Amino acid sequence: MPQFLKDFFNRNGFGMGLAILGLVLFWTIGLIILPQLSMLDFSFRPNLPPPEIGGPKDVYTLENYKYLIYGPEGGSQDYNAVDLRVFFRTLLAAVCVTIFNLILCYPIAYYLGQSKGSHIRIFAIMLIIPYWINEILRAFALRIIFGETGVLNTLFVGLGIWDTPFDFIRNDIALYAGLGYAYILLMIFPMYNVIESLDGNQIEAARDLGAPWWRIHWRVVIPYAKPGISSGCTMVFMLSAGALAAPQILGGPSSLWFTQLIYQQFNDNNDWPQGAAYAIVLLVTCILFVLAMMRLFKVNMGDIGK
Amino acid sequence: MNNSFLRISIWVYLVIFFLYLLGPLVIMSVTAFNSSAFPRMTPWECLTFQWFGELFQDQRILNGIKNSLIIGAGTVVLSVAMGLAGALMLTQIWPKLRATYYTIIIAPILIPGVVLGISTLVFWDRINRMLGLGADSVLSNGIFLTVIGQSTFIASYCMLVLVARLQRYDVALTEAALDLGATHAQAFRKILLPFMRPAIASAAVLAFLASFENYNTTTFTFGEYPTLTIELAQKVRYGITPSISALAFIIVALTVFFALLNEAKLKRQELVAAARKQATVEELAGKIKLPSFFAGNMAAVLLVVFAVATITVVGTATAYNPGQCIANVKEQKRLEAEQRIQELRKQREEQRKKREAEEAEQGGDQQSAPKPSNNSGFGNVFAPNTLGGDTEEESSGPETPPSNNGGFGGAFDPNSLQTDQ
Repeated sequence: MPQFLKDFFNRNGFGMGLAILGLVLFWTIGLIILPQLSMLDFSFRPNLPPPEIGGPKDVYTLENYKYLIYGPEGGSQDYNAVDLRVFFRTLLAAVCVTIFNLILCYPIAYYLGQSKGSHIRIFAIMLIIPYWINEILRAFALRIIFGETGVLNTLFVGLGIWDTPFDFIRNDIALYAGLGYAYILLMIFPMYNVIESLDGNQIEAARDLGAPWWRIHWRVVIPYAKPGISSGCTMVFMLSAGALAAPQILGGPSSLWFTQLIYQQFNDNNDWPQGAAYAIVLLVTCILFVLAMMRLFKVNMGDIGK
Repeated sequence: MNNSFLRISIWVYLVIFFLYLLGPLVIMSVTAFNSSAFPRMTPWECLTFQWFGELFQDQRILNGIKNSLIIGAGTVVLSVAMGLAGALMLTQIWPKLRATYYTIIIAPILIPGVVLGISTLVFWDRINRMLGLGADSVLSNGIFLTVIGQSTFIASYCMLVLVARLQRYDVALTEAALDLGATHAQAFRKILLPFMRPAIASAAVLAFLASFENYNTTTFTFGEYPTLTIELAQKVRYGITPSISALAFIIVALTVFFALLNEAKLKRQELVAAARKQATVEELAGKIKLPSFFAGNMAAVLLVVFAVATITVVGTATAYNPGQCIANVKEQKRLEAEQRIQELRKQREEQRKKREAEEAEQGGDQQSAPKPSNNSGFGNVFAPNTLGGDTEEESSGPETPPSNNGGFGGAFDPNSLQTDQ
């Protein structure tokens, strides 16, 4: 038995140590690593009916990945334009939602982090309450507002600003508002945690030295809050790229989200390997994108999740 | 000058921000009380509680709640246990492995829920096949798969909550217990667990809420046991009724209630502690025993106001009967519809005459216009007569012509719309 294992059992006792080790191994290997590997493996296999699985036809193939790029074999187009467009649109929209959330939440996080008083606690509750409401219901609430006879349209048409209802749903405004709405808290909290620990004297000093307010933010607050900003952005980006409920409820009839394609492959087409391949593509692209952004903005991996 | 301008603008910003955050929930809750068959705030028809009755008779919703509770309980147990083990491991793992280990256990938070659901489904399906079990074994059971899939990432949340408190734990306490002859299990149960209890409680609440509202993972794993969220999603996607708003209202009310309760309790503890610090011994014996529950405790005040409001609402609900009002609205709608039909007839008549007069250009244009029935995003959701009734309301405004009926009123020629009807 290696030394660190022996130490571990000495420290926790054999029974307790075994329980801890067992649970941790079950979680990390049984729930996190093996399922992901299994999905990766699955994505390289053809879609076979259950009796043929493990048979001679069950060989590794790149077919599922080719399908995403080139579409069905003998198809009319050179590339799988529909799926690829959905894929890039999803990524782009996720980036936009992240930026929108960052701009929206930064002032709030700064205000909450730097001001004192009991009303801050009430604000915190008001922030958390929407997050406790079901994801579906939050999307539903926005659908009531953005619907064609919804509150906004009635308001604007009633005021005479527009003469006909504006279709927020088909123009994807409802979708972006819904995605932004869903993940506000995940953007605010990491930023708030960091900004709260910023010494107010630093801001004071910058002000005394004559810095205008925007330069204080640019040179003092934002560099200090960078770990919080990057973890907030990472979470919002990953979650909105992987969102399923909001696009299903708020997306227009023609605008698909990439997760919806995955969902269709699984539930409608019953093509699990294809769905797994799409899921892998989404996961890997998102991770690579986040890593690239972190490299670009010089953020360490260790700062995330603090 | 500049300063006060900044202050005003930040308050304006805060108001707008919280409107965006809370407005949708308020509007959704309000729609639960409107008798209109489509959840909407305007036009207000009648105050009604019928949607709550409908909600409680919906077998699928009730069944979904039951499944959600079972799955939630399983997820809480599994993910708190794994989270605690993971947190304990993090504090004592071999330093060289620490960063890798941390990355692995934090990763599920960032992996899209869809991916987690798929990987759980695929993996356990394979295990099931390897063991040669049938399609109805435990391993392909919806409840099992959902608990497993949700726990994968919920355990990470629990771990984060637990490790924050664990870092303040003094290991010397456990060592002292061991020196005094306790076994490891005893030291764990009597020393560490009591210390961790508040964190375990919050981790459990967090885990339950996360499990209850999870959609992305569950939608792949639920099998034959749809949770409340799944049922809701199907309802919202295939037909919206205000009974969903009624459910939302209940959930919002419960959430607000418990949030305020928790906050009031915390605040009270703080106030009592502060009072203790300042008080003399006599005061502690006499006055402080009953510090007014509300003094300086905004959350408590809000809590009571909220409770009173809820009781009033429930009280009215039992006594109130909106039948007359609904009948009135129906009658009014019918009259309006009739009037509208008359108008349409007249217009059609006029158009026909006009067309007869200048048949060449006009007629062709009119015919080629696309058929503008209710093919909006919501098209299939509206019952035809509600759609009609709705336009009535809108058209009663002075400047709007009675034409913006379909989703894309603007896209179509108003005249063609009328001819179509």
